[in-house]
Amino acid sequence: MKEKDYFHRTFHRNKTVAVMFICLIVFMGLIGRLVYLMIFQSEYYTQKAKELHERERTIKAARGRIIDANGEVLADNKTVCTISVIHNQIEDAEEVIAVLAKELDLSEEYVRKRVEKYSAIEKIKSNVDKDIGDVIREYELAGVKVDEDYKRYYPYESLASKVLGFTGGDNQGIIGLEVIYEEYLQGEAGTILTVTDAKGVEVSEAGEERVEPVNGQDLYISLDMNIQSYATQLALQTMETKQADSVSMLVMNPQNGEILAMVNVPEFDLNNPYTLPETVNTEGLSEEKKQELLNAMWRNGCINDTYEPGSTFKIITAAAGLEEGVVATTDNFSCPGYIMVGDRRIRCHKTTGHGAEDFVQATMNSCNPVFVTVGLRLGVDNYYKYFKQFGLLDKTGIDLPGEAGTIMHKKENIGEVELATISFGQSFQITPIQLAVTASSIINGGRRITPHFGVRVANTDGSESKSFAYPVKENIVSEETSATMRYMLEQVVESGSGKNGYVEGYRIGGKTATSQTLPRGSGKYIASFLGFAPADNPQVLAIVIINNPQGLYYGGQIAAPVIKQLFENILPYLEKMDYNSTKSY
Amino acid sequence: MAERVASRRKSNSGSRYMDYSLLFIVLFLLGFGLVMVYSTSSYEANLEFGDSAFYFKKQLGATLLGIVVMMVVANIPYHFWERFAVLGYAVSVVLILLIIPFGYEANGAKRWLRIAGISLQPAEVAKLGMILFLASMICSMGKQIRHRKGFYTVLAVPVPIALMIWRITSNMSSAIIVMGIAILMLFVSCPDYKRFIILGLLALAGAALIVFIIVKMAEGGTEGLDFRGARILAWLDPEAYASGKGFQTLQALYAIGSGGILGKGLGASMQKLGFLPEAQNDMIFSIICEELGLFGGIAVILMFMLLIWRFMVIANNAPDLFGALLVVGVLGHIAIQVILNIAVVTNTIPNTGISLPFISYGGTSVLFLMIEIGLVLSVAKGIHLKDL
Repeated sequence: MKEKDYFHRTFHRNKTVAVMFICLIVFMGLIGRLVYLMIFQSEYYTQKAKELHERERTIKAARGRIIDANGEVLADNKTVCTISVIHNQIEDAEEVIAVLAKELDLSEEYVRKRVEKYSAIEKIKSNVDKDIGDVIREYELAGVKVDEDYKRYYPYESLASKVLGFTGGDNQGIIGLEVIYEEYLQGEAGTILTVTDAKGVEVSEAGEERVEPVNGQDLYISLDMNIQSYATQLALQTMETKQADSVSMLVMNPQNGEILAMVNVPEFDLNNPYTLPETVNTEGLSEEKKQELLNAMWRNGCINDTYEPGSTFKIITAAAGLEEGVVATTDNFSCPGYIMVGDRRIRCHKTTGHGAEDFVQATMNSCNPVFVTVGLRLGVDNYYKYFKQFGLLDKTGIDLPGEAGTIMHKKENIGEVELATISFGQSFQITPIQLAVTASSIINGGRRITPHFGVRVANTDGSESKSFAYPVKENIVSEETSATMRYMLEQVVESGSGKNGYVEGYRIGGKTATSQTLPRGSGKYIASFLGFAPADNPQVLAIVIINNPQGLYYGGQIAAPVIKQLFENILPYLEKMDYNSTKSY
Repeated sequence: MAERVASRRKSNSGSRYMDYSLLFIVLFLLGFGLVMVYSTSSYEANLEFGDSAFYFKKQLGATLLGIVVMMVVANIPYHFWERFAVLGYAVSVVLILLIIPFGYEANGAKRWLRIAGISLQPAEVAKLGMILFLASMICSMGKQIRHRKGFYTVLAVPVPIALMIWRITSNMSSAIIVMGIAILMLFVSCPDYKRFIILGLLALAGAALIVFIIVKMAEGGTEGLDFRGARILAWLDPEAYASGKGFQTLQALYAIGSGGILGKGLGASMQKLGFLPEAQNDMIFSIICEELGLFGGIAVILMFMLLIWRFMVIANNAPDLFGALLVVGVLGHIAIQVILNIAVVTNTIPNTGISLPFISYGGTSVLFLMIEIGLVLSVAKGIHLKDL
């Protein structure tokens, strides 16, 4: 009976067919899902899987060295270790955490987070001293990897710290030349790519892909370690005896712009650039405040800070006046101790007046009324023209980061009074490097040179050398004006206000300055002196700037002797070094 | 009429029909499964047991045993088993209950019994028992099944077993399969469509509601959710749960996605090197996709489609309702299990542990599947060639 029913009822068959079709439709849906995953999502998952399977280890490139004019290495590399963990090879996570936290002086929480993260390889700390790396290696912990690489090392510690700069954790330049020449110094990191199984064991059949690192190129700079050292000593000594806030010194070749020394004391230790001086109490300071203090410590006063140049700027006024023909060396003036400009009475530093004097004598005396007169004779238009022509409105283009621009009145805002003050170097601000370059250009025959350190880069084996060329702007003053300026400035040192800068047996030119810092009446001064030698054919120019000296503060009294001492030492040295002929590398 | 039936029975005993297509498909799947088990497990087996063929050998043994058992069952007239229907149901219940005191754990779930040194999954027994019991019961019910009472009686039969499998062995997928087998057998034996459509829609709505509630709960924090809730969240966004519930799924997706169209080549899977847990087991399909690509994956699915087509042909030509229902039950079992497995592996549904029939590593599974195939072949033997 059952069976008879069965054969007459076709609904069983229909329903079985229906079941099959439902199944087949679902299968087709799953095939669709597979197509989506394996064609349209394939690239995404392939990439993800590759990241999971491949363990990448970078091989750091050795950063190029920085080498001074004598071949002394100023920035080098030393071996340090990078500590990483391979998650799947760790056997005793707690021990790994405890050991790494202890030896690396890290918080346990920090280490735990990295140890417990599921990744092929996780970096715990880089730039670990080789000694500590060796200690960790001796624990023989499974899953802990100690890789050696390079760290920047500065053999002379604080020497030229603000010029050289230092590097960060990834060996990238943070300040100074290290930043500007990053592209040459850095080189290219290499990588080792290995395919591993889930336990981090390398799959040997897959082999490894190795990309060799390209080491950075060495940077040869014009800085002379000996001059830099001596200048640093002098600056430190001056800062101490004058109880000054800071002292900056700059020694350059006025003919081609090569900088031989740039000192800004206090300097800092390049091997510990994040350590503030011991005198600073860092307790209770916020991170932000600490960073501010660090930034202040790293500042290069010669290029990052501006100041009112004062009387050294009379070089520019004199050059402009002579070039324009509004004054001649034989012109006679009379100084009553002041000059009236409009309704203002501008005093000379010698209140009793210099009396009758010609222009050369006025320069030797650094007589304010005479320079105001020259400035007024030039007029705003001409003065501004020369200001611009001398390159004072532009940056010098020095190969250091963060050069400050000139802070100057707008031309339309310059009245008689402003013009008068500009004429003797007040009411505007420039950087020391700007003053040095402009003065160099006026005394070198009128060629505006670009100050620089970088001379060339080359591979360690000497191959693929590249020399740098720097722009020169010709004829900013005539050769004749330049010669006159050299003569007048030599007179200043010979028997004028700069006679403390005189070095026996050498022809020295120079100009002193004493400027009051803003706000006026604060009693703070900047004493400075700009000197060059030989006066008839300048090969070296030096500036010293003493910031807020106590007691005597006149440039002629405290700054000129510093340059005198410097020249006494370096002029014989430079002759021996043959700096007087064109240097070749 | 009675004569015709009699003559049919006579001729059956004379010329016996053997469904070689079905046999070929099954043997192909088994052979392919063995290759894939060796490919997926050799690396881990070598690390763990020092013998790269460790899993392969065990699986080969179970497969050979399965083939022998299949041949034996195929040669026993299927009506022989009808008398054990009630016993099968009872044995299923007892075996599942035995797990509570005697079961042992593996991979974090208590699902196995060890009898005379052989480990056995009672859930596998229960699936076979359910097919046999329901086929027998539906036949004896006759037209009663069309009435509401009969309908709900049949629907109620698998519920206690399914609940026990779910609660005692924490094996939700086997519970779903047991319920699914019952519903498919009921569907085929009942002329009605409306009830099933309503039932299907209700199930869909219920599932959607559960997902919705869990997602809403998760917005307020995941503390109150048990691991199944977390599975659903991991299903929706496996990368957000990459280190927890979503880990296995994500690793499977990496394997499938990185296979591309043509795959990395047999044996060249990277994911099987310890990245993908249960690579030779529940997740074997993802390694097939990784090594053999989209073509390999589709080929496997096509083989299962062919298998189901053969089941349908045999069921529709079965000499009687009992035979047809047995085949429909086996069809339901294999189809649901394949669909669930591939859907899980491709993250189409939330992760639930389930193996791929004939291919995944697992002795009990292969053995019981082969018994079922034996039953189907036995039913096929009852087909008179003239009827085809």
